[in-house]
Amino acid sequence: MAVTPTTLEDTVQLSAVPASVHRREVSASAAGSTTAARPGPAAAAGRLGTASRTDGPKEPGRGRARLRRFGLGLAGVVGVIALLELVVRTGLLPETWFPPPSQIFPAFAGLVADGELFGPVGQTLQGWVLGILAAAVVALPLGIAIGSVELAHRLTRFLLEFLRPIPPVALIPAAVLIFGSNLDMKVFLIAFGVFWPILLQTVYGIHDTDPTLRDTARSYGLPRHARLLRIVLPSALPYIATGLRIASAIGLILAITAELVVGTPGIGVSITDAQSAGDAQDVMYAWILAAGLLGFLLNGSLQAVERRILHWHTSFRGGNR
Amino acid sequence: MLVVRDLSKTYALGGEPAMAGLDFTVGEREFVCIVGSSGCGKTTMLRCLSGLIPASEGSIELEGRAVQGPPEDMAYVFQDYSRSLLPWLTVAGNVSFPLKYKGLSKAEAAAATEQALAAVGLADRGNSYPWQLSGGMQQRVAIARALAYQPRILLMDEPFASVDAQTRAELEDLLLDIWRRFDITILFVTHDIDEAVYLSQRVLVLHKPAHVFESIEVDLPAERDQMETKKLPRFGELRTRVLASLRAPDTASA
Amino acid sequence: MIRARLGDWALALVVPLLLLVGYDLWARGAGDFFFPPLSVIGGNFADDWLFERVPTDLLPSLGRMLAGYAIAVVLGVAAGMLLGSLRTLATALDPVLQFLRALPPPALIPVSLLVFGAGDSAKVFLIALGALWPVLLNTVDGVRGVDQTAMDMARSYRIPTSARLLRVVLPAALPRIFAGARTALSIAIILMVVSELVGASNGVGHTVQLAQRGFNIPEMWAGTLLLGLVGFAFNALFVAVERRVLRWHHGSTGRGGAPTVRRSRLRRERPRPALTPTRTAVVLESADAGPATPDGRVPDARRP
Repeated sequence: MAVTPTTLEDTVQLSAVPASVHRREVSASAAGSTTAARPGPAAAAGRLGTASRTDGPKEPGRGRARLRRFGLGLAGVVGVIALLELVVRTGLLPETWFPPPSQIFPAFAGLVADGELFGPVGQTLQGWVLGILAAAVVALPLGIAIGSVELAHRLTRFLLEFLRPIPPVALIPAAVLIFGSNLDMKVFLIAFGVFWPILLQTVYGIHDTDPTLRDTARSYGLPRHARLLRIVLPSALPYIATGLRIASAIGLILAITAELVVGTPGIGVSITDAQSAGDAQDVMYAWILAAGLLGFLLNGSLQAVERRILHWHTSFRGGNR
Repeated sequence: MLVVRDLSKTYALGGEPAMAGLDFTVGEREFVCIVGSSGCGKTTMLRCLSGLIPASEGSIELEGRAVQGPPEDMAYVFQDYSRSLLPWLTVAGNVSFPLKYKGLSKAEAAAATEQALAAVGLADRGNSYPWQLSGGMQQRVAIARALAYQPRILLMDEPFASVDAQTRAELEDLLLDIWRRFDITILFVTHDIDEAVYLSQRVLVLHKPAHVFESIEVDLPAERDQMETKKLPRFGELRTRVLASLRAPDTASA
Repeated sequence: MIRARLGDWALALVVPLLLLVGYDLWARGAGDFFFPPLSVIGGNFADDWLFERVPTDLLPSLGRMLAGYAIAVVLGVAAGMLLGSLRTLATALDPVLQFLRALPPPALIPVSLLVFGAGDSAKVFLIALGALWPVLLNTVDGVRGVDQTAMDMARSYRIPTSARLLRVVLPAALPRIFAGARTALSIAIILMVVSELVGASNGVGHTVQLAQRGFNIPEMWAGTLLLGLVGFAFNALFVAVERRVLRWHHGSTGRGGAPTVRRSRLRRERPRPALTPTRTAVVLESADAGPATPDGRVPDARRP
């Protein structure tokens, strides 16, 4: 039985999705071929707005399609906000549960204006960055080693499969005890949680390098280190990028959780503070909005970076369907 | 049987037409092949004929009734069998899939499925899944699905374009055999001139934007054989004629 | 083949066993308060979870998790099918949905407490809300990615709309739906634990937290171990269900399914022709250039 690999595509994923899913995506263009059908990373997926793949818009239509998508998206955002306002104003949604957007947005603007927003956001980001860095520094080399040595791959297969689905939040009580309620604890929690997706994606990406590519490189007499650097790593890159994107989402969830549950400073604490302040619900929702926007921006920027670096990858070339 | 009058299709407003003034008729139990260079609008034509998309202008009549949606008496065989067969259904499941919605009872559908699979030589593969079969066999399944639907006319869109030459010859003969045995009219689109001449009674040559440039009678003996028929001098002449017609400058403007 | 597989498993078990034994030996020697030996943790595990606290804590946890997850899957698939069929609406709502998916669900804990109080419904709400988006977004993508040829086929055979949705669109989108559901499952388990760390009166997470506050370290680790087992068990169950339901998918893509994996591996590892290196490269390139025709599939793959 093969270890089900963790290649996640588009949807930010907390854990693994069978690689077969990508394969489905590519299989139409390269059924059964050993060449083209490499699983895709962030891919076009997840973006509902992409012009439909089947009617393949031609070049001149591209800009217009993008404009249309932008316009529709804007209309959607405005529409949803207006709808929420209406639902609250008419009392369908009790105001004690959800204040009208016309109060949340000013509250958010207030947080931005007096600079109150940036401290907690910075603290959340700090834990996020340190945790992911700590995990990546260990997981990337380890993943490359396990992925390229067949024996190591076989030896660790079960261990990785067992450790991956363990919910990292289960370690919160232990982590609090060992580290205390501070930044160390937050960083440890995030590092532990994001270690697995990064490691597994790396292992899988390295292990799954196209044999034809490997053979080609060998037949041209490329030395071992060059094969690793020029062939294996680039083809594993989309997987690693996916791993990092999953890590980003999990990292943020764990950061906010650590703040909410344990009280290490950050957005999570600001949310609970605003909640316990009694009638400051608009402020609480403003902080929740901040958390969502942060996640949205982090995900968006990672995808943009990925698209730049991996422009050669099938899933970004588009029009291959 | 099938009467197409002055059919035109333009996708985008003010864009280039994909089909302009397409005009032809197909008689009862006729086997007509349509050839045209790639990108000449064959696919647009087929999608209009099958009622999948509406034409911009003109009319299609099947047995005296205007075609406004997919007609009941028509079955469509797609080029890409791997995508037109549903991978989650078995071979028999794929063949019987449309029958339930045609109003057949379970027993009737099962009988029709069995018969159709036998007709294409796949009687024993009903329980396999399409992806367990070779490409040629998958296209046989698609043909069986069309047969079981019991259409009066079969629309085929380059059905043998993605199988190897050997399998292709087998499938061509299978199709001729089916055409003789069943009461059925066939409209067969291909880009392969040999195939068109070998199979049909009449070849329609399409020019871009899709319109009939020339209709060529295939006056070969009714009994066809991959070796013998293709050796006939007349076969060579017809083939040359179709090719010349395809390459001819489009003077007679549509 | 079965023997080879057993060998694989034996090999895969070596490292975990070594790690466990190593930890136990170290913990016995070190006598660290925070890291008790395995036997102590195991003893506590047996005392607590076999099966004294199963009805009082484990079952409520699992019940809330499954309820929230079920709501998320049902709602997500239904809404996703709808949105996937209404392209313009899906495009318009895309930014909003992306925002909601990017919003870390624990941030909504105060909202769930505000709306539902500290009871079960707050937890179910939180789990459902967190797990909904991956299912929904993947369903939309799956529906939008349904092959045009399959849809044309269904229309040309006059399959009615409802049957087209249920028997063509839904199965075709199923691989994506499962991908989303798997992500949603891990979110649901995480939220199950998190929701019990804040304002709960029972549940495994609550037990672990109580043990930690009372400095009952072995009990804390026993609970943590149980949570790990729960995560592993649900994941394994999910994979088993997926394997069964998507058997056709793994088969048709030629990978992933147990028998076909072996096969494709065989195909990949075909011996290289004994030519000079440069020739080999040329041969390999030409052999694999261009998209394979569908004929390139394994013709006689056995039945699943």
